[in-house]
Amino acid sequence: MRRVALAAALTVLTAATACTEDVTAPGHCPDFCPSGSITGVDTVLQTVVQRDSAFRGFVRPHEASALLAADLRDTIDSRAIFLTLPIGDSLVVESGTGARGQIVGVDSLKLTVTITRRDTSAHNLTLVYYRLPLDLDSTKTFADLAGAWTTADSLRSLNVDDLLAQPTHSALGDSVYVDTLSNRVTVIAKLDSAMAPYVVADSGKAAFGVKVVADSRASIALGSVEAGLGPLLTWFAEADSVAKDTVPRSSTVGVRFDSFVFDLLSPSVDTTLDSTLAVGGMPVARSIMRFALPRLIRDSVQISRATLVLVTARPPEGVPADSFTLSAHGVLADFSAKSPLSPDPSRVATTRVHIGIARADTVRIEMADILRSWQIDTLAPTTLALRQVPEGTEFPEIRFEPSTNLALAPALHVTYVRRFPFGKP
Amino acid sequence: MRQALRRLGGQAVGTALALLTAYPANRLSGQDSQFSVRGLGVPGRWESVRARTTGGAFGPFDPRSSVADVSLADALQLTATAVEATTYRRAEIGGSRDDLRSSRFPFMSLAGPLSRRFVVGGGFATYLDRTYSIVTRDSQMLRGAYAPYTDRVGSDGAVADLRVAAAARLGSWIAIGAGAHVLSGSSRQTAQRIYDDTTFLGTTQTAVVRYDGFGISGSVALDPVRSVRIVGYARSDNRLRARLGDTETDRVDLPTTLGAALRWSPSPSARVAGTVAWRSWSDAGGFNTTSWSAGAEVGAGPTPFRLGVRGGQLPFGPGTAAPTEFGVTLGTGKSFSGNRALVDLGLERLVRKGGGLTETAWTVLVGLTIRP
Repeated sequence: MRRVALAAALTVLTAATACTEDVTAPGHCPDFCPSGSITGVDTVLQTVVQRDSAFRGFVRPHEASALLAADLRDTIDSRAIFLTLPIGDSLVVESGTGARGQIVGVDSLKLTVTITRRDTSAHNLTLVYYRLPLDLDSTKTFADLAGAWTTADSLRSLNVDDLLAQPTHSALGDSVYVDTLSNRVTVIAKLDSAMAPYVVADSGKAAFGVKVVADSRASIALGSVEAGLGPLLTWFAEADSVAKDTVPRSSTVGVRFDSFVFDLLSPSVDTTLDSTLAVGGMPVARSIMRFALPRLIRDSVQISRATLVLVTARPPEGVPADSFTLSAHGVLADFSAKSPLSPDPSRVATTRVHIGIARADTVRIEMADILRSWQIDTLAPTTLALRQVPEGTEFPEIRFEPSTNLALAPALHVTYVRRFPFGKP
Repeated sequence: MRQALRRLGGQAVGTALALLTAYPANRLSGQDSQFSVRGLGVPGRWESVRARTTGGAFGPFDPRSSVADVSLADALQLTATAVEATTYRRAEIGGSRDDLRSSRFPFMSLAGPLSRRFVVGGGFATYLDRTYSIVTRDSQMLRGAYAPYTDRVGSDGAVADLRVAAAARLGSWIAIGAGAHVLSGSSRQTAQRIYDDTTFLGTTQTAVVRYDGFGISGSVALDPVRSVRIVGYARSDNRLRARLGDTETDRVDLPTTLGAALRWSPSPSARVAGTVAWRSWSDAGGFNTTSWSAGAEVGAGPTPFRLGVRGGQLPFGPGTAAPTEFGVTLGTGKSFSGNRALVDLGLERLVRKGGGLTETAWTVLVGLTIRP
């Protein structure tokens, strides 16, 4: 009995004296608070950005992950162009033996393109197909192909909205499919042999151009080879057969080259760089901004919030769907235009630039993580590349006031907490 | 044989003292208190559970405590003691009430005779407790709107008193003692701000502040008659230096301590004692304090009963008057294995008042003493 009592007493004692800790209490200042306090500061650093400049040519049309087709009246006229791979002069006619037969004729073709971005407010969205010369390459300009874009040269047009309105999304051999996950629209247009004749000397290569029109300003992006969504051309051909005269066979080919050509119709989209900080456009422009951070910010304080404030010098032109992501991207080393971008996601800050923003409007990018990473890595260059994300998929270009415009220069709005006076009673 | 054992005991004491001196002093806080938020902190108690459960009155006479070095003269065999204290606190101010709790290991000592008249000892005790955590709510005008936030400022640590002392019995009626004290410790301090608006990132700053200082102490015990002992003791600590990394952030003078105690043993099974001590905390920017205690121990067997009261002032607090402290204690003990192991238990009720704050605490004390 005594042992049981002793065990019970020890249990109670252990429970009462077990390691436990709760020493947090509301402060009653100043009498029962530490002499030092946490001090928050909110300030705008007006001259923190220095030696900024813009550069162009980071992504060229044939390198872009989208083929831009736009009919922004009085601003930009852009058309997608692509050259398909050859199908050769024969097709497999007997799958068991692999025997091939000479192509003797073409019944029809199906040309497939994928619309990766569109403005749903542009009604009667229509794709107009053109046959282009086979010598397409990256040097071709809108003017070089001027002769191919006449109305008489168009193969046919396809009203995407009309097809979407059909219960089956198809009519007369044309069809559209909407990917409900990505909202991409795959457009399949039927061409006859007169529109795209098979030329033995060309081994079946074909070059096409795609123009977009709508009731209002139209701007779309077609998938490119770089994005894995390049155009496809399916030939429905007649091949010579040993057993019969001919047999129908089909062959689908991708594209060897894709790009887009455009005509800048307005001086407001002039691509000539000046002292302003250009971002986006085509060819793609980036702006390099170098930050001269005060030692206090670099060494001593903890950043709660940091906002890069940019004043628009030239607003972007386009349709609402052309709104794009603006990224402030840290660099690994400051080699000016050739600065390699940091792969560290903590050195990237983004915001959305909407079409409709006006001149002198401000664009803000929250970059507290970037400032904190600069505090941790004191060897990192305090340089940012302002860029569009992804580059080369939108026409609009925005320009910001540079640091040389003292009144409207880029500024850094910082909220931080000063170093706590540790070690004082 | 006796000499061999004595030599072995001396080596054990030396080794133990070295280990104790090297012990990190991070978790030695004696008793947390809201009065440790301002100033240097709350002074610790240099008492074993036995002394503490007599209100501290037996501290200058207890060889297991480090109040007066001369008490080591009664440690006639190697003795090691440790204390564990769990405190349940309630702080009331301005109509608000907070219940807090903490567990600490505030005291440890080791003592053993080198000869029949000469005893050495050492250990650690809390010199100043620096543990608290304060939460406040406020707001700040940020970007055109008030941004509410929560601040949390805390300190977790203590300044420990690492003592090496010796005592000698010069005669049947007189003994003397002296000690050297290294003050060492650290507190992990935290300052955190969290905004309600999560677009403002929270900030957390931490630092480890290290403390160091030095002190000496001396004491004498007189037995004018067989049943009465009088102890006088004094201690002088030079200064407490706070360092953050390699940078000295603060330096304050530390107080001089003067104390006297009287113990009367009317019978072998009953002892009463009283103590009074004065400390010049104004040297450190606080209030000079006078503390007193009275206590009794009844029973000479393996399970004595102890009780005591204590009172006095705390050195740091708001306003122009020192906060006051009053406590009542009781406890008992139990010996095992032929008196080679002792377990002391105690309960302390403490009330501290000052600057509108009333702090009450229940502390459960457990002491373990080994005499190998």
